[in-house]
Amino acid sequence: MPEVMPDLERDEKSKSDSAKEPGYLVICWNDPVNLMDYVTHVFQSVFAWQRPKAEFHMKQVHNLGKSVLVRESLEKAEHYVHQLQKYSLHATMERDE
Amino acid sequence: MKLLRVENERYFFQLDRDEKPLFEFLLRLYPLIPSAHQALSKSSAHLDENQRLLDDALAEQRKENKRHVEKLLADDDRFKENETGVELNLTGGEIEWVLQVLNDVRVGNWILLGSPEEHPRFDPDAGNAAYVLTMGLASDFQMDLLMAIKHN
Repeated sequence: MPEVMPDLERDEKSKSDSAKEPGYLVICWNDPVNLMDYVTHVFQSVFAWQRPKAEFHMKQVHNLGKSVLVRESLEKAEHYVHQLQKYSLHATMERDE
Repeated sequence: MKLLRVENERYFFQLDRDEKPLFEFLLRLYPLIPSAHQALSKSSAHLDENQRLLDDALAEQRKENKRHVEKLLADDDRFKENETGVELNLTGGEIEWVLQVLNDVRVGNWILLGSPEEHPRFDPDAGNAAYVLTMGLASDFQMDLLMAIKHN
């Protein structure tokens, strides 16, 4: 029987490609505690958005219960969720399926 | 807390005699949000290791903010006494972490109230008065800081 070796190189490559694929949505969820001006400010700080864009997403969170802020790779989505949670916003990342 | 002026990217605020101890009281409450309170994802169970890393990063962040708080409150040059109270000066970067600290205290008190869906109303007979007042106090200071950086 020939010995079958796992294709480690391909496995590593596919893992690293998947981390770079923009397949994750960063979502901010509504809650009754965070101030609207504060949420707008956090979006401006974390994403370097202009105020109108930050306000648009803040209003989506407030009126619709959530807003998809960005679609990113696993690594970048994690980074943004960390930044948003640092400010105590209710933010998560979800796979875009 | 009132913005007096902005000089060399430093914000100068006037706090009256009652505001300084209230501001200090709020900062000393930090942190209130329980560690590992925030989930990285609602649906992706395969992110367990990533969740642990996030929890560690947030714990480290809290430690760093706590160090900032202790340093600020011990620095007499930041709180200069004057006729009506004290003058506090902060850089833009410092305002960012003070906002994080105040919001942690606000959200932390909301969690202590049981995370109600409706914004809690002040009711002195319901036993929630201290939490609701602390939330309101934190948001007053947050709004003063937000207005200062919004218009400058």
